[in-house]
Amino acid sequence: MPTVILLDVSLSMSRPVKMENSAGSEDYNRRNLAIHGINTFLDALSVKNKLEYVSLVIFSSLYEQLVPFTRDYILIKSTLTKLTDFDKTSLAIGLSGAASTITDEWGYSTPSQIILITDGSTGVGQGSLKQILETHKQMGIGDKDASFQFPCTIHVLCLASPQDPTIQASVSMYKKIIDIYGHGGEVCIPESTLSLDSTQKMFCQFFEEHCSPFHGVLECGHLECNIHIFPKPQVYSKSHDFEDVELEVCHNIKIVGFLDTSDVASPPFISRHLVFPLPPQTANTDAGASDEAIGDTGKIPSFTVLLHGSLKVENMVAICQVGSEWYGMLYSWADPHKKKSNLMLSIFEPGVKSLPWLGKFTHLAPHQIFTASPYGEDDNKTPFPVKITEKRSYSLNHVGWIKPAGLQADIQKVLRHARKLPEKMPHFYKELNRVRKAALSYGFTELLDALSAMLDRECRLLPGSAHPDAALQLSHAANALRTEMARDITQTITPMSTKYSSIINEAR
Amino acid sequence: MAYPVSHKTVFVLDHGPAMMASSKENIDFDVFNKSRGPGIIPLAPVTKSLWTCNAEAAVEYCRIVYDLFPDDKLVQFVASDTSATSLNSWQHKQQNVQKLLDCLVVLGPPGHKTDPSDCSIVHGLTHAVEVLCELTEKQQDVRLALEETETTLQNKGRIICMTSLKSDRHVQSLQEAVQEAIIQHNQLSANADSFMPLNYCELVFVHVRPVGRKSDSISSPKKSVSPLLSVEVHVTDSGRSVATKVVGLAQRHYELFSTTVTGIPMKEEQNSGSSANYDVELLHSRDVHLEALNSGNTEGLLIQSKEGLPSQSLTLKWCTPKSNIMELQNCVGAYRVTPVDVNSRPSACLTNFLLSGRAVMLEQPRKGGTRLISHMLASHGGEILIHILSSTRSVLEDPPSISEGCGGRITDYRIHDFGEFMKENRLAPWTDQNIACDPLPLQRSENHLERMTRVWPIAIGDTMIFNMLSHLDPLPSLIVKDKLDDDEVLECKKAIYHVVGMESRNEPLPVPNAGLRTKGSKREEQYRQMWTELETLIKVHVSNSPQHQKVLDCFTDCHKTDGGNTSTIKQRDEAIMELETDLAVKELDTFVLLNPSTK
Repeated sequence: MPTVILLDVSLSMSRPVKMENSAGSEDYNRRNLAIHGINTFLDALSVKNKLEYVSLVIFSSLYEQLVPFTRDYILIKSTLTKLTDFDKTSLAIGLSGAASTITDEWGYSTPSQIILITDGSTGVGQGSLKQILETHKQMGIGDKDASFQFPCTIHVLCLASPQDPTIQASVSMYKKIIDIYGHGGEVCIPESTLSLDSTQKMFCQFFEEHCSPFHGVLECGHLECNIHIFPKPQVYSKSHDFEDVELEVCHNIKIVGFLDTSDVASPPFISRHLVFPLPPQTANTDAGASDEAIGDTGKIPSFTVLLHGSLKVENMVAICQVGSEWYGMLYSWADPHKKKSNLMLSIFEPGVKSLPWLGKFTHLAPHQIFTASPYGEDDNKTPFPVKITEKRSYSLNHVGWIKPAGLQADIQKVLRHARKLPEKMPHFYKELNRVRKAALSYGFTELLDALSAMLDRECRLLPGSAHPDAALQLSHAANALRTEMARDITQTITPMSTKYSSIINEAR
Repeated sequence: MAYPVSHKTVFVLDHGPAMMASSKENIDFDVFNKSRGPGIIPLAPVTKSLWTCNAEAAVEYCRIVYDLFPDDKLVQFVASDTSATSLNSWQHKQQNVQKLLDCLVVLGPPGHKTDPSDCSIVHGLTHAVEVLCELTEKQQDVRLALEETETTLQNKGRIICMTSLKSDRHVQSLQEAVQEAIIQHNQLSANADSFMPLNYCELVFVHVRPVGRKSDSISSPKKSVSPLLSVEVHVTDSGRSVATKVVGLAQRHYELFSTTVTGIPMKEEQNSGSSANYDVELLHSRDVHLEALNSGNTEGLLIQSKEGLPSQSLTLKWCTPKSNIMELQNCVGAYRVTPVDVNSRPSACLTNFLLSGRAVMLEQPRKGGTRLISHMLASHGGEILIHILSSTRSVLEDPPSISEGCGGRITDYRIHDFGEFMKENRLAPWTDQNIACDPLPLQRSENHLERMTRVWPIAIGDTMIFNMLSHLDPLPSLIVKDKLDDDEVLECKKAIYHVVGMESRNEPLPVPNAGLRTKGSKREEQYRQMWTELETLIKVHVSNSPQHQKVLDCFTDCHKTDGGNTSTIKQRDEAIMELETDLAVKELDTFVLLNPSTK
């Protein structure tokens, strides 16, 4: 995930570090240690997880994005050599600066992280840690404005000796800050006295815990392949109605079957990941598959490559299980320039019903068990989408008269058929009863009288050339609307049987 | 964990005779007479009663809720006159608009003859509290699931009471009645099976007055009466306004947002040759516009609702659809939508277009004229969803191609064969609830994949037998089945004898051009490898069924391996003789031709 290295460049960072056994060697200040740590971190990234985007932001009482998000870690390293000192630490400025660099670039849904590198001095006055905490206290806990509106963890790497008397107080304040911003994170301090070694160790440990690549196994029955999934899938943690869900993506991605791309129909996903094949033995042990190593492994057949090729050619997707009651799909994805394609994993919202048009995931069966193939004899059918059981109002011919236009349109329909009596007799009575039923539902009995008056008028306005049955049916319907029977829903107004209508029927 | 108030809503509708009063809003229903020449005097307009307007508004609230949240948002209607009547229950099958309309017919409008002094809205309110204590199907499930953990279910609900209120003191007495009812019913339901005490109730009064009546200032914002109860009072005119008011409440209660799709081209009704552009306003979850609302980047996008809702609406421009966009969209969320005015012609045109299976891209007009396709409307299985398309930068940019990685330099993958394999392993929904599928359908899919992949070389150069399928068919496709019938066993045997015959005739095996990665170019070695592969294939399936054992027996008879040596010609010939007898008995004489060595 995109990472902001948020580096404290306040004056206190230039305090020298007392080296215990530094006989004759150079003196270091905290900033030197920070740079050393960052370099350690970037080196680890470039070996193990070189697709991650990193940005460098410095802050004191102001902030500045020195390096925009990049995969060129050398650029960051060289920028670090040109730093100067600024004034005091204002954490509020630093964090909001880092936050806006993230949202400007990645929007509000991409998971990201801020790595704050500071020396444990929490600042004084405006923008200090203490002040942030106090303002927050006044606003009240759970105030939405205080927390990040995008998923961003904050890690604090603190360049201070564990023996430092003030450090525990600082650490607990950092933890509070992490809680306020609401997406988790960790506070790290070196295990032993501040030195190059302890700093390096802290950064290495931090990398292993939070930034190491996600390795797993892609399985399809007995076919399998070690894979690297980028970006690392996040823990799903959400509070839903009636349940809290906390799930982790499992390291075995298990294919359960295949579907045509048109049948899955652009399903929403919570995250997307590239899936890279790894050679059989190196997974989980040494991830350092350098370019040379890949050169050797290029000739080892890989199921992932085969799967990608076939999915692309056939325009299909593989449905896979990524966790307990949690599913995703694998498909061939080409970058927007369509030059290169890759195997992509989209992870759906957890749950067996997260894509209603596929039915329940647990009810996806091999098509062979059906007596008649759901895909048709000649592969000309599809069992998807699964239809909803209750129709929605827009496909129900719902009667709504909240606006006069709705009522007018329904009346108009009755009238249109009325003018074409007796030919349109079935339609006329059908529409009439539909309007009558709706009027009864809403207790709108006035409408029945009005409709009756309207039909009487239509009867009077009939031209001389009109079929005699038209007048008979119109006055029959008008009278029927005025009776008690019209107010009884179990009754239906039916056409009057006339000698003319029977003649018409016979003629047919 | 959230226990939303909106899970259960009770509409208490005042069904007393006072509600038969006119809304005082005239509706012209006799229109469109212009074309019929002069001399037609339109009929007098009709007016709806207060009851009709209230019922319409409450039904509209439900229509929106059921369209957008068909599963876990429930509404119950209670009519209150001399007593209280529940029109429907919490049961899922009673949660639809058609059911409500049917029940309203049976209920009928308020009776003129009822004595107003016998009627009270209190009947309805206390009954509403009682039904809120009733557990829904969902709540019963959750309560069962929670029994294992320490937490207990919270029972919350909302009452929307549509009536006419007399004064602040009237409101006061009603809320006291509700508070009292909650305490009573909580005691009663404490130990009942399908009941549960109410933890919290939100009471919403909608005071309705005929159009034009002077305003009574009893409206009041939400305030807490006790830890169990909060009360708010809304005042509205009857007629159309009451529906607007109630839909506005629905927007608040379910956190809905409105989108206006602009510039929809539609043929004119009267003049079918020309087309004009229309707008359609849709309601959906607020989450649809989270990105825009969070970034504050809504300049020029927000307008006042054109359908008159008391809210703003975000405009998105219709993009003329390309034919059949079937490729996967970069979709980060999908939410149900429903038109604000479901009956209007533009709404119907849009929904029918989408229900016919086509999708429409929606564009955010941006400053500087850049186009940003941010959403897509499409239907799935009969319901319409708005899809959020990712519009921000992606961390997946510029990845190395798959061909640069592990296994990327191999060119003889069995791409086509695996394509066929995928089609063979396509899934289909098991929708028949009446027929149990044991084990679960998905487990059967996994079992199927497991069987099909026991032997599946992924590259052409890794296999002999899958390069000579024309000689082995149909054995490889039959042997993976979980059962074989007698005919299929015979087919497998035929295939084995066919290759036996090939070997005895010393025919060359069809080795792929690329050459095998495995050792051996001599014909003998190739045969040895072929036999080994075939044996592996048959052996991994031998326990599928007793019939599979017969195939293996046949294989071993023809091809006994003693310490790695292939069987002697003699042994094989004997086996073939045996088969021939077999076949002769079955009068399958044509098969003899396959083995001229025995002639």
